[in-house]
Amino acid sequence: MLARLENVTKRYVKNEGLRDLTLDFPAGEVVGMLGLNGSGKSTLLKLMAGLLCPTSGHIDVFGGRPRTNRSQIVFLGETDVLWPWMTPKDAEKFMRNLYDDFDAVRFTELLDALEVPRRKTKTMSKGERGRLRLAMALARNAKLYLLDEPLAGIDLISRERILSSIVSEWHTDETIILSTHEVAEAEGLFERAIFLREGRLALDVSAESLREGGKSVVDTFKEVLS
Amino acid sequence: MKKFGTLVWLEHRRNWLWSLPLMGSLLFWAWGIKQVLVMDVGERLGIRAGLLAGAMTIGTVILIMMIGRIRSETRNGQYQVLLMSPPSGYTHILARFTYAAGVAFAYFIAIGFMFWWIFELAGISFDTGSLFELILAMPFYGMSVVVLPILAYVLLLMVFVSAYRISGKGWIPGVVMLLGTPIAMQWLSDWMVDILWKLPSWNVFERVPAAVFERFSQADIEATFMTATNEGGYSGIPIEPMLVMLALTAVLLVIAGRIWQEVEA
Repeated sequence: MLARLENVTKRYVKNEGLRDLTLDFPAGEVVGMLGLNGSGKSTLLKLMAGLLCPTSGHIDVFGGRPRTNRSQIVFLGETDVLWPWMTPKDAEKFMRNLYDDFDAVRFTELLDALEVPRRKTKTMSKGERGRLRLAMALARNAKLYLLDEPLAGIDLISRERILSSIVSEWHTDETIILSTHEVAEAEGLFERAIFLREGRLALDVSAESLREGGKSVVDTFKEVLS
Repeated sequence: MKKFGTLVWLEHRRNWLWSLPLMGSLLFWAWGIKQVLVMDVGERLGIRAGLLAGAMTIGTVILIMMIGRIRSETRNGQYQVLLMSPPSGYTHILARFTYAAGVAFAYFIAIGFMFWWIFELAGISFDTGSLFELILAMPFYGMSVVVLPILAYVLLLMVFVSAYRISGKGWIPGVVMLLGTPIAMQWLSDWMVDILWKLPSWNVFERVPAAVFERFSQADIEATFMTATNEGGYSGIPIEPMLVMLALTAVLLVIAGRIWQEVEA
């Protein structure tokens, strides 16, 4: 098992992010983490990335605490985290020197495929910055990718580019957990869909079984969460 | 080493807009010193030295502000990128500290040169050894006693408050730390007074009083030095404060590095 959450609860000062959640993530899956705003998707991904500590429960990633294995996990947060002075060349230097699993050739290919302009991020559009961040994330040879809303606020063409890059870069031994509100566009990617509602697990189902039952992920999303 | 170098580079790219004006401000202080034209040589020297003391204080404040930008990065999410990166918390903290300390050292060396310049303007010439002490040894001593512990403390404060940002009310640990600091500093300074002069002193500026006597042979300053000589003479500066504060700096950095591992983002 690549990652396991056991009775995980995360409480913030004023509210509860997750409540008593138990989930297993085997290697080699593309998982859709779905839910309405405030359902706990980002909290779950941050807990798995080791950016948050659970209030109670146990999280195991790569056989240990996420915090001790942070550097082996690719986490693409929903916030725009690039420094405004950074160019794709700076980003490459930063990633190449800090991450041993960073592939500079793959990064250049991704920049080309995603049509990222070679200029400072402060002069880029939100979509261009999002594509650069995705290229930085996917150019790593990791086993676990946690992608939190990589499609949020990005135009249709960029979203298509991002999704096709995720598909083309995915290897069968890698696990990608993708949270998104663009369920219809991303559902073709998912092998498994996890639906969260108010911090609790609403449904954990394989996409194939949904299709066999004549349902799409979008239909199920509406059915489970409306 | 490559990772550490990259983090220092990152610090430079993030902060050069702060460090350049800091260095540029020296031109302003040089201009200010040049403007001091009073008749009495001693008074002229005093005002100019006072200006440089002001420059040192302002420089330290700017350095603290530079290093205190962690908070804005927390809000912008850039903290996440650094927290997720492979270098340990100790490496991250040390990189930030190294960059700020490097800028501070360059700044205080420049201040040392300006002191040399104003002494020259007052007609006091330093020999090579004393000049070396003025532009390297004294900045190192002053930084070790004052600037480095402050930088390390600010780093610790920022990481400490960030670490408890979500899981508790951020201001509580911050206030506790701020209130506890004067008590800790009081205890530390009492202890330093107790151990002062226990170790051999550092005999910087041994030859400078001779140059001062030569220039101010009729001035009151001669009497001051004569009094000092009669009371046992100039015997250098104590190294205990420097060693204690360097050790304190190291401890603060280690704690900050350890807390980095627990920071939530």
